[in-house]
Amino acid sequence: MGTTSVSVEYINPFVTASFAVMSMMFNEAPTKGALSALPDSFTSQQVNVVVGITGDISGMVILGMSLTTADRIASMMIGQPIKVFDYLASSAVAELGNMICGNGLLQISEGGHICDLTPPTVIRGTNVEISTLAVPAIVVPLKLSLGEVTVTVGLRGNK
Amino acid sequence: MHKKILVTDDAAFMRVMLKGILIPEKYAVIEAVNGQEALEQYASHQPDLVFMDITMPVMDGITALKAIRAKFPNACLVMCTAMGQQNMVIEAIKAGAKDFIVKPFQAERVLECVKKFVH
Repeated sequence: MGTTSVSVEYINPFVTASFAVMSMMFNEAPTKGALSALPDSFTSQQVNVVVGITGDISGMVILGMSLTTADRIASMMIGQPIKVFDYLASSAVAELGNMICGNGLLQISEGGHICDLTPPTVIRGTNVEISTLAVPAIVVPLKLSLGEVTVTVGLRGNK
Repeated sequence: MHKKILVTDDAAFMRVMLKGILIPEKYAVIEAVNGQEALEQYASHQPDLVFMDITMPVMDGITALKAIRAKFPNACLVMCTAMGQQNMVIEAIKAGAKDFIVKPFQAERVLECVKKFVH
């Protein structure tokens, strides 16, 4: 397990961004649950959107949710009910991750950090072990009427 | 005859979303999944407006913008950007992009942009 702590300076922008983007996309502000810490390696949820951050700060941000929640979110974003979690649905939740991380990164850049995003990756399956490579992660559960989305932030400063 | 708009984004969802805004307004939508395909589609269809994502595989949006503008100096391109890409937006505007819209889009903002450039 890594020993580096995760700075609040790196977490808050992604929580704020999640609130802003979800409120706009779903016409509903999420409710924040209790924060928890994870070791640098943990198992995935049913649907996970992984976005890498590189530059002055590096690591990853992961949106995790159940398949039911992912179905509901994708349906809401696409504007019609989806029957199966297909490529289009996957693209929709990936874009949600992209928008949240882009918004979060904008706030981080205002603190003088220059960073970039990697394209989002969608991972399905609950038995996948995800490692943030010696960076402990903080998990923020966000509750919506569509279901719960956990925002896992595992970032470290490189300066 | 319907005005033609080329939507370029590697994310299927974003293309579907833009089509859902534009088609009901009677615009003909052509799609491309990367900058290279946008260049080919532009040459084939000469659309009235291009919505161009920035981060894409094969050829990114800024390279495609420069390539299209080099061949078609009057081409009208609007960049689609995620927040946090302001440096790229500045580069795109310098390279001739007419405007930019920030994801997540609001239909009003997209249509405002279209009406500004497509007559």
